[in-house]
Amino acid sequence: MDVGFFAQFVINGLMLGMMYALVAVGFTLFFGVLDVIVFSHGDVVMVGGFTGLSMYFWLERMYPHLSPGPKLLCMALVSMTVIALLGAAVARSVILRLRAAPSLNTLLATMMLGTVLRESIRLFYPDGANPKPFPALLPKWSVEYSGLTLRLDNLILFCIGALLIVSVHLLINRTRLGLAIRAVAQDEETARIMGVNFTLIVLVTFAIGSAVAAFAGLMNGLYYNEINFSMGLLLGAIGFSAAVIGGLGNIYGAILGGFIFAFLQTIGAVALPFASAYKDVFAFAVIIALMAWRPTGLIAEKTSERV
Amino acid sequence: MSERILDCTALTKRFGGLAALNALDIHVDRGEVLGLVGPNGSGKTTFFNVITGIYRPTSGVVTFQGRDISGLPPQRVYHSGIARTFQRSRLCLELSIFDNIMIGNHKRLDLGLWNNIFRRSRFEAQYEEGMERAARLLSALNPDLVARMFRPVGDLPMIDRRRIEICRALVGRPSLLLLDEPSAGMTHDETRQLMDEILNMGSYSDGLTIVLIEHEMNVIRRVTDRCVVLNFGQKLFEGVYDDVVANPVVQEAYLGKDVE
Amino acid sequence: MNQPRDFVIPGPVFCIGLAVFAAIYLALFLSSESQAAILVYMAAGGMVLLLNNMSELKPRLSEAIKGNERLCNRLAVAVVLALTAAFHADHYTLFLIGTILLYIVVVLGLNVQLGFTGVINFSCASFFGIGGYTSAMLLSKTSLPPLLALPLGGVCAAVVGSILLLPVLRTSGHYAALVTMAFALLFRIFLEVNDALGGPQGVPVRSMSLAGWDFGSDLVIGDLQMSFYVSYVLLGLVLLCLAFSFVRRIERSWIGLSLDAVRVDETASACFGVDVARWKITAFTIGNFLSGVAGALYAMMLAYISPANFTFGDSLIFLSILLLGGVGNSWGVVMATAVVVLVPEKFQVIQEYRYLIYSALVLLMIVFRPHGILPRKTRIYRPGEAA
Repeated sequence: MDVGFFAQFVINGLMLGMMYALVAVGFTLFFGVLDVIVFSHGDVVMVGGFTGLSMYFWLERMYPHLSPGPKLLCMALVSMTVIALLGAAVARSVILRLRAAPSLNTLLATMMLGTVLRESIRLFYPDGANPKPFPALLPKWSVEYSGLTLRLDNLILFCIGALLIVSVHLLINRTRLGLAIRAVAQDEETARIMGVNFTLIVLVTFAIGSAVAAFAGLMNGLYYNEINFSMGLLLGAIGFSAAVIGGLGNIYGAILGGFIFAFLQTIGAVALPFASAYKDVFAFAVIIALMAWRPTGLIAEKTSERV
Repeated sequence: MSERILDCTALTKRFGGLAALNALDIHVDRGEVLGLVGPNGSGKTTFFNVITGIYRPTSGVVTFQGRDISGLPPQRVYHSGIARTFQRSRLCLELSIFDNIMIGNHKRLDLGLWNNIFRRSRFEAQYEEGMERAARLLSALNPDLVARMFRPVGDLPMIDRRRIEICRALVGRPSLLLLDEPSAGMTHDETRQLMDEILNMGSYSDGLTIVLIEHEMNVIRRVTDRCVVLNFGQKLFEGVYDDVVANPVVQEAYLGKDVE
Repeated sequence: MNQPRDFVIPGPVFCIGLAVFAAIYLALFLSSESQAAILVYMAAGGMVLLLNNMSELKPRLSEAIKGNERLCNRLAVAVVLALTAAFHADHYTLFLIGTILLYIVVVLGLNVQLGFTGVINFSCASFFGIGGYTSAMLLSKTSLPPLLALPLGGVCAAVVGSILLLPVLRTSGHYAALVTMAFALLFRIFLEVNDALGGPQGVPVRSMSLAGWDFGSDLVIGDLQMSFYVSYVLLGLVLLCLAFSFVRRIERSWIGLSLDAVRVDETASACFGVDVARWKITAFTIGNFLSGVAGALYAMMLAYISPANFTFGDSLIFLSILLLGGVGNSWGVVMATAVVVLVPEKFQVIQEYRYLIYSALVLLMIVFRPHGILPRKTRIYRPGEAA
């Protein structure tokens, strides 16, 4: 196998990994503050992609001469804002109401919510049942080197993704807001007593996680040049898997998990050349095996049961 | 010297760097009531959890009736004859009184698929027997409960829940009963009543031995033959109640150093 | 304990009346074509339920049903038979009835897993599908008697499920949910990329035949011409009766008690000798077996199956039925299945929107009515025993 071919797989894997990490960060943030799995997160990613696309069509109509750069910036800003609000609304109307319920109920409720989002796009977005082409707005320069194509648009997406994750990390660890989020994640009661506005912090956390997801949705569209209503289900399952193998509640773990999943898919595609279609089957099978080996993820969540 | 029913030597349980139990030697004689006292976090409940197999000991040996039971899973420990109650009542609130008691009767139940599903006559016979057993226990504690055997436990007041927990622990006729703070959530009078009832139950299970965790020193004084005081997972003192309360080391552990 | 009540109407008569009412209502509902009529029937049905809930009739009714359990079971069978007879030539209606019967079997299995034992399973449609593909393969590749495909479908589902046992046993909560969810996605993708199983297009399934009785062609007895679906409905009914009484007996036995104990408090139960792993394995296997058996017959009835029949979304539908009917409540499950299958099929206006409507409904229910519409009662061990 030649180097270029191999490097191509590495680059694809890194792109996928970044996308998954962006989704997994949301899962792990929400689990951190509320101990819940918000399964609709994958569909929030999808809605993010569609919001961006709608924005693109609106801009096309209103400002046909706008160059791709500002257009994309507008799309990203609008999509991230809308989805941040959507995330906060989800937290307010569903998740916070289910605080006292068993965790299975929350999981089920968010799955149903995900279905509601998915079906709404399918039914109410114009021609939403079919895959939508996503405009290629990033410069198409690429460098070729012995069979390896390094595309500028991919590089830009990867860098912005990394930048987003770093800023979330800085936000959580270096700001007063982040301190409050960490306080709530550590111990809700104590945080409340110390004057942290619990509800507000939860809403803000959901807004942040969802905004990151919105970018993942755009990235997905730009990378594959296509989005469809059902992509959220798989992305949600992958993000959830990534967050779980990395250890729920742990941001580094989520990033690691995202890249591990992408790595597994890539391995699946390379190692099973006769059947690369099985790469997802392989990746999920490994996830199931990992869960059997390490029931609470590679970086174990700290659990204790008081008897 | 009387026979030792339970013998723990150098029992240690670490959670990370913290030693919840530290080289603990405790023995229990057959037929006695041993009081286990100590400040919060001194390792009393951890001791129960290690003995009943919820936690594996880090090191040390637990011998029960001459058999090494250290590190056995909870269901095996139960089958060897140890039953317990929990500090925070852990009944199945949505299940009926009868169901809760029968969970404790597990070692006598026929759990085979065949007899339960296809040969109902076998099951029916066991069911009658279980009803009878549960009714006998309940009537010793609170006869009113017998008629309400198929009501969910969640509808009952705390003292009745405790009673059902006791029934659940006793119905399997254990040799050793571990009681984790039976007074929690109850008034003094209720506690006194319940303790009397428990001591009377000794006749139900012949030669019942009890280890009792309790904060209420009155209860300890009235019912225990001997006490062990724990502090930071270690045995601080061992003796009869009067010696315990008179001991300056124990007083210090409970009240702090600077009390004159 | 069993105090005689002075009913104005004796219990059995009450039950028979109820069954006759249900049969007539269902017959009218199933036979109407116009959307307006169906809307009226739905509204009427809703009103009756609401009135029943508010009136004094409800405690009496539940008393009568509880006191005459065997009779009610027989009446339920009679209602299905009467409907089958009434619609003996109507392919579509019979197909719906057959679907309902088989869906109930799946949900009963899910009830054993989640309702009794608390074992999470987000992949029951996959096990349903394993049963279906097993019967497709067995009937096309071997010359085994087709009836054998039913138990073998169940066995295959249970065996494949046993691969998941280790992770399911070792994990709990969110982690266990992930395991079964990953399996559901894996299974779907696997079916789509696997050419031997027909890929995304699916495979045809040969019809059932029993000792010369071919289920694939219309039944003719004397002058009476009946739809071939009649055979499937009858076999489905037999299957459902077996599954229902099996699950009932599990519930009313020490096994049911052990399963409940595992669900409510694993640690405390283990301290009383309950073998948590054993019961989780038992429940998981029984549930998957039932799904597999139902899937095998469903595939034959459909005559053609594809991966789209067994998606994660379908697993969510099964879970929704369980939640709508009341987790752990067998009769509730029967009613909820009928509603979930029939309403979108008959009320075509919402057909397209059914996933949206179900998910929104279940979402609302989890938020506002977490114990289901018919909450589970405390266990009794013998029919008619008073609580």
